Amino acid sequence: MIELLNVSKRFGDGVPIVALADVDLKVEGGEFVVVLGPSGSGKTTLLNMVGALDNPTEGSIVVDGFDISKASRKELFEFRRKTVSFIFQSFNIFPGLTAAENVQFGADAAGRGDEVDPAVILDAVGLGDRLDQFPHELSGGEQQRVAIARALATGNPVMLADEPTGELDFTTGVQILELLQKQAAEGRAVLVVTHNREISRIADRVVELSSGHIISDGPPAEGKASLDELHW
Amino acid sequence: MKDWYLILRWSWRDLRKYWVKVIAIALVIGIGTGAYAGLTSTANWRRDSNEASMELLNMYDVRFELATDSSVAAGELAAAAAGIEHAAWVDDTVERLIRPTQVDASTAGETVLVPGEIVGVDIIDGGPAVNGWYTETGSGLTAADAGEPVVLLEEGFAFHNDLPKAGTITVSGGVELEYVNTAMTPEFFIVVPENTTSFAQGTYAGVFTSLETAQDLTGLEGAVNDLIVTVADDADRDVVATEIKNAITELGVGVNTIVREDDPSYRLLFEDVENDQEFFNIFALLIFVGAVMGAFNLITRLSEAQRREIGIAMAIGVSPRKIAIRPLLVGAQIALLGVVFGVAVGVLIGSLMRSVMDTLLLLPVWLTDFQWSLFFWVAVVGFIVPFLAAAYPVWRAVRVKPIEAIRTGHLAARGGGLAPLIKRFRLPGDTFAQLPFRNLLRAPRRAILTALGIAAIMAVLVGFLGAIDSFVGALDRGTTMVEGNSPDRMVVSLEGVLPVDHPGVTAIAEAESVDGTVPVLQLGARAEGDEELLLLVEVLDLDNELWQPALAAGSLDVGDNGVILAEVAADDLGVDVGDSVRVIVPVRSGENTFRFVETDLNVAGLHESPIRFNAYMDDAALTPLGAEGVANVVYANPASGFDSGDVQRELFGLDTVGSVQKATAASDDLDDLMAQFVGILQAVAFFVLLLAVLMAFNSASISFEERQREHATMFAYGVRVRKALRMAVVENLTIGIVATLIGFGGGLWMLWWVVNVTAAETMPDIGLVMELSPTTLFTVVVLGIAAVALAPLFTARRMRRMDLPGTLRVME
Repeated sequence: MIELLNVSKRFGDGVPIVALADVDLKVEGGEFVVVLGPSGSGKTTLLNMVGALDNPTEGSIVVDGFDISKASRKELFEFRRKTVSFIFQSFNIFPGLTAAENVQFGADAAGRGDEVDPAVILDAVGLGDRLDQFPHELSGGEQQRVAIARALATGNPVMLADEPTGELDFTTGVQILELLQKQAAEGRAVLVVTHNREISRIADRVVELSSGHIISDGPPAEGKASLDELHW
Repeated sequence: MKDWYLILRWSWRDLRKYWVKVIAIALVIGIGTGAYAGLTSTANWRRDSNEASMELLNMYDVRFELATDSSVAAGELAAAAAGIEHAAWVDDTVERLIRPTQVDASTAGETVLVPGEIVGVDIIDGGPAVNGWYTETGSGLTAADAGEPVVLLEEGFAFHNDLPKAGTITVSGGVELEYVNTAMTPEFFIVVPENTTSFAQGTYAGVFTSLETAQDLTGLEGAVNDLIVTVADDADRDVVATEIKNAITELGVGVNTIVREDDPSYRLLFEDVENDQEFFNIFALLIFVGAVMGAFNLITRLSEAQRREIGIAMAIGVSPRKIAIRPLLVGAQIALLGVVFGVAVGVLIGSLMRSVMDTLLLLPVWLTDFQWSLFFWVAVVGFIVPFLAAAYPVWRAVRVKPIEAIRTGHLAARGGGLAPLIKRFRLPGDTFAQLPFRNLLRAPRRAILTALGIAAIMAVLVGFLGAIDSFVGALDRGTTMVEGNSPDRMVVSLEGVLPVDHPGVTAIAEAESVDGTVPVLQLGARAEGDEELLLLVEVLDLDNELWQPALAAGSLDVGDNGVILAEVAADDLGVDVGDSVRVIVPVRSGENTFRFVETDLNVAGLHESPIRFNAYMDDAALTPLGAEGVANVVYANPASGFDSGDVQRELFGLDTVGSVQKATAASDDLDDLMAQFVGILQAVAFFVLLLAVLMAFNSASISFEERQREHATMFAYGVRVRKALRMAVVENLTIGIVATLIGFGGGLWMLWWVVNVTAAETMPDIGLVMELSPTTLFTVVVLGIAAVALAPLFTARRMRRMDLPGTLRVME
């Protein structure tokens, strides 16, 4: 589903800052992968490149059979519409739209506005009774659920989450992780970027980055934990 | 001190960061203050220039004009002045001989045959000491020209008829004169013959020459008929006037005394300043208010972007007073830049105004220095507004808890504004169709302020362009009516009231170049109603085949007791068709004498001309007026194959003919004048347009920055830039429509006020009607809706180049 080959990313002229160096990574559909690393390790850069928000300096990235490293600007927009969906740390849902409308936006953006019932998706994320609420009327956890519902509404096979629990309390964070796990279980490739090592315990795979290099890639060291075992 | 330097440098970084918007806002302030200063400066310029021009040419303090056809021997009037008790109060005296004449100044391409006057003075010193002659280039007359057929031609007449600086003219009696230069003199700065609304600079010729030449030309050997004097500063002018008048009366001649302020040229020159200035003041104020609103809104929004930085400063314990310094400093620097731009715009508008004024009014001295004192007060307001605009968001920001100001994410999520009100109301289409309206309602204060700022400018534009349309419309209506079905009609003024069968009158009808005449009796009358109006009544056969007044209401079948009035006259008198109106008309009591009689006339119709004093009666009324079979004007139509010049030439030789003018001459003159006036308005309208575009652009640019994260989120979801732009366009379109509707309403009110209040007071003799041409409507719609709607397109490049990862990660 996602395949990175010798991907490097450098920023700046002169003495460039290396954000990623020769990264090889493969993620299959249905996998719940956590990219772990401290601040500045390159994990968000990796996510942005998989989501076609940024392009690599070297190497190739193929997602769902499409090589985004060679794609035109137009094709990248198309790719984002049809292949990936984002979940952000600060939610980035539209304050002028209700919960249902934010979800509908995801569907509209992917060109499947007529196929989606926002109420069903919001119900699936536990917000069946909050359809007509505006973001400022929702709690942080509810807003992030709306963001997830919006991502789901796209129907895209790859879900990219950047610190999705970063602004949430523990209980709400766990609920969000449960939702993301569920998406992987339904066949999507879910890539979660976080600096929270605890979250990596529930992943199918943990990719650990340091200074732009993958220093480890495999199942959680102590075995996959259940959501009940998490604490932070 | 160090603190201040840091804050100053920081503020410069702010300015650099937003430099495009900073310049645009400064331009908004600059246009507002500059347009105000430029437009309101003209009154001071004109007053100063008038005074300086009068001073330069030593305009008379008192004029003594001998009764018609009276004259005395040269030297007698000066001697009379020198012999009065307070002769020491008299500074200068100049004896003149002034006589009417006809002037033929035709050139190869143009026939110029007009009435005028010969003014002769002693030129031993090169020209008169009082009411001097000013030649722009070259020299005037010299002592050697005395008695020679050499003259100066009045500058305004030459200018308006495109005559060369030197040439030849022919005056009554077929005498050819060489004019060696053109000259200005105070009595001719503005020429307004009786019974007209317009300046007659181009249709009345002043011919200035030596006293001897004037005496030769008029056959009044050794005679003078006019004395002008200046008095000492500490003199009692009235005493001098009375004593000289008495002294002249003792010579056995009638004399009419005119003091400087009653001189028509002087009076109109200064009255005109006040009238014109009223218009300019209104528009200047409106432009200024529009710009102030725009600048306030834009700077408020710019400062609001610093809300979080203010929160951080509060969190680290900086006092609110100190926090306010940087945004206020930014506001101050924008204001300062605005004031600098204001000077430039003021100077530019001033030079435009000056160039138009220079053409409208030929004065020897134009003092058009930048009016610093006037600009200063405007600049003070222009300077304070950005302060207030910057202070408001700072005041709001320092009132919240620091934690609220710096909080990111969902806890900082702003309220939904008015968006919840319409959540049940779904527009057709997908969420992309809903978003623009939701965004507007989400921040209603911002949307309303933006719309009002643009609306203010639109209102000015509608008012401005509407005023132009209304003026032009009035002119067109006047011209259309004057032209009627005989656009080449000539108006022949007779030398007095003559029987229509007088050989000199029948000769007009028999002239080869004339095909069809209508005798007309022109009478001055006074109508009484809600107001008292002076009327110029033309009594003619309203069933004639040459020309009839076009009617807006009523009929031409007026009988012997009916009158056709201008619509504006009927309004002012409070009468309508079918009503009767009390009119004091002159009834002929002798061959050339009239007495006034009060009578009630039936308002039979209303004509389409905007000129209030024009009124018409049928020749059936001549009998009750005791004026059967007489006329003082003849309408003459050029025969086939002849033009107006041919008619002028042929009729010019008749003793009974005073002047021959195209009927449209007055409106042509007025057209020229209006073209200049409209030129000023259009120049200012350009700045107003620029103002609106700048405000729309700035508003769009600030909106773009406020929505950056939303746009980035859309792009992350694959929404194309053009779709995001489309949404921004729809949002601006909505603002544009609302602003245009409000602005249109405000503009119509302003136009109503200009037409029905200001114009009615300052130019009561012209009946303006509110008019908005399709061009104006198109301009307003294009600018208010299209330009505002399309302004977001300026942000397309920035959208395309947006750093998506960076923008998405930026916290609130």
